[in-house]
Amino acid sequence: MKILIVEDEQKTADYLCKGLTEQGCTVDAVHNGIDGQHLALEHDYDVIVLDVMLPGMDGFSVLKSIRTLKQTPVIMLTARDRVEDRIKGLHDGADDYLVKPFSFLELLARLQALTRRGRAMEPTQLRISNLLIDLISRKAFRGATRIDLTAKEFSLLAVLARRQGDILSKTAIAELVWDMNFDSNTNVVEVAIKRLRAKIDAPFSPKLLHTIRGMGYVLEPRSEEVPE
Amino acid sequence: MRRSITLRLVAMFSAAALIIFSLIGAALYGVLKRELASHQREELNTLVQDMQYMIQRAGDVQRWSHVQTKLETLTPADGSIRFWVRSEDPRFQYGEGPADVEPAERGPDGLGRLALPGRKYPLSTTAKTIAGFQERPAIRLIVGIDAAPYMHTLNAFAGALVGLSLLGALLVMVLGYWIAQVGLRPLKQLSGEAQAIGPKTLSQRLKNAPLPDELSELALAFNGMLERLEGAYNQLEAFNADVAHELRTPLANLIGETQVALSRQRTAPQFMEVLQSNLEELERLRSIINDMLFLARADQGESATSLASACVTEEISKTIEFFEFVLDESGMNVEVEGDVRARAFIETALFRRAMTNLLQNAIQHSGAGSRIRVQVSEQPTLIQVAVSNPGAPIEEAHLPRLFDRFYRVDAARNDSDPSQHHGHGLGLAIVKAIAKMHGGSVFARSQGGVTTIGFSVPAAA
Repeated sequence: MKILIVEDEQKTADYLCKGLTEQGCTVDAVHNGIDGQHLALEHDYDVIVLDVMLPGMDGFSVLKSIRTLKQTPVIMLTARDRVEDRIKGLHDGADDYLVKPFSFLELLARLQALTRRGRAMEPTQLRISNLLIDLISRKAFRGATRIDLTAKEFSLLAVLARRQGDILSKTAIAELVWDMNFDSNTNVVEVAIKRLRAKIDAPFSPKLLHTIRGMGYVLEPRSEEVPE
Repeated sequence: MRRSITLRLVAMFSAAALIIFSLIGAALYGVLKRELASHQREELNTLVQDMQYMIQRAGDVQRWSHVQTKLETLTPADGSIRFWVRSEDPRFQYGEGPADVEPAERGPDGLGRLALPGRKYPLSTTAKTIAGFQERPAIRLIVGIDAAPYMHTLNAFAGALVGLSLLGALLVMVLGYWIAQVGLRPLKQLSGEAQAIGPKTLSQRLKNAPLPDELSELALAFNGMLERLEGAYNQLEAFNADVAHELRTPLANLIGETQVALSRQRTAPQFMEVLQSNLEELERLRSIINDMLFLARADQGESATSLASACVTEEISKTIEFFEFVLDESGMNVEVEGDVRARAFIETALFRRAMTNLLQNAIQHSGAGSRIRVQVSEQPTLIQVAVSNPGAPIEEAHLPRLFDRFYRVDAARNDSDPSQHHGHGLGLAIVKAIAKMHGGSVFARSQGGVTTIGFSVPAAA
């Protein structure tokens, strides 16, 4: 995935660059609107991360000039969470927006969602190691053993399995599973993960559902267990 | 231009005094004038009667000459008393001057006025017809007396009245000024006291006891205003302190942990441990700041935008579903009752957020195995959603403050145990903000070991 980052705050640009590169993306980072506009029009990016407050030329203007020529997906970053800003950004053709402070995981999820749009149909079955998930019949198997899950437990498993290898934050899980689109400050996700783990992981091997402390959860086979 | 109460009072007092003095003066003047007139009348009548007897008997010229002599003796040299006799017969006449000395008109006192050359005031006159006797025909006797002494008295009296009235008015003016000063003294004291109240002495109140009734009400109103201001001020102060506290704790943890980590050689897993711990603190900071921003936006009057008609019970059920595992874990259950078909005009994401916070609050404050009730009640324009849970009684005074930011009934904070305490004291404040964004309100009750907290949103027409 080829990504352009237009962000004047050096530290933010640096960590975004580093994080996204480590995720296997090709990243260009520029620190002002004019360079951003130039690169966006010169090259073909899969997605552009565009800050609103930029020296030289603000994010909205950059977005407008990109939109006159290209339909590259754009995520706007804004420090001011005002409805007018959101409306303006979306009206000018932004595909998504994130309010600072945002979590890196959330940005990653949004980037993936944007680039995944319009991709081929989802598979009907997902397999992680010896865990098999049938999305049509909503059944899960560990090896040959059928695992009895409630509807929400299955939804949670499916959400994690669709993004296997990706770390999902609690907020993202709450949104994807329960449609709760805000920081809820509850321990709902922890409890749900605990129950799911008891069913799909505890009696089996290898362990697949891992907690990444402070960040969230990931479903993937791992050779060594991270201490929790 | 600002008008001084003292000056207005003085002006009004003086005007009132002048009016009263003038009226009294006029009345007194009238009485005196009438008295003096009757005095003159009596005097004239006496003179007429004195002469009448003599004239009645004077039937011939000889006797008439006696009458004339008598009249002459009675007329003093200064001319202050004058007699005239007029008849058809020139022999029986007396007195010089015009033929018709008797004035055609008489004053309201029944006396005639006869102006004579060389006299300052006209004479007051009266007349009487005396029937004829022997050769004398009927004659008309006219007596005039000088009104000057009476007029002098009257004028002196009037002068004194005017002078005294003016003097009185002046006196009232001075007294009025003093009275106004004394009367307004409590007001001065009040304003002095009010001036002494500043941000540091907000708890001070105006002293009500020594104040007169009229000002007492003002002082009460003023004290009420102070009460409200003090409340808001204290809340703001406490809020600032709380924000600082809430942000300082995670910041201190971050700084401390990082410093400790960097002060020695560490292995990669040790650094990882520190970073993970730091991340938790940072997430906490982020969550507080986001919620504060949300509240600030609500405070600035931002209202819910994407309103749509939605079934309240359906949204509540979704929220309960969110807590399904947590409820299951602690053996609690939630029942929804009331007007379950009610529809409200809401932004569903915000409504769910409020509902989540209310349920979270209820779950947190009730023991394992409790039953939580969600009561939906439809009112003419509003839908009320109330969440009840068995919980320790909360004092009446605490109830409205439950919705304050960072407010906790128990002063001791137990932030240290995150598994016990997931919120950061903004949950109910957010419920209130969301209710406000919808044009609704919040309420809290504590009765018979059941805590009920709820909010209202506009009903869908």
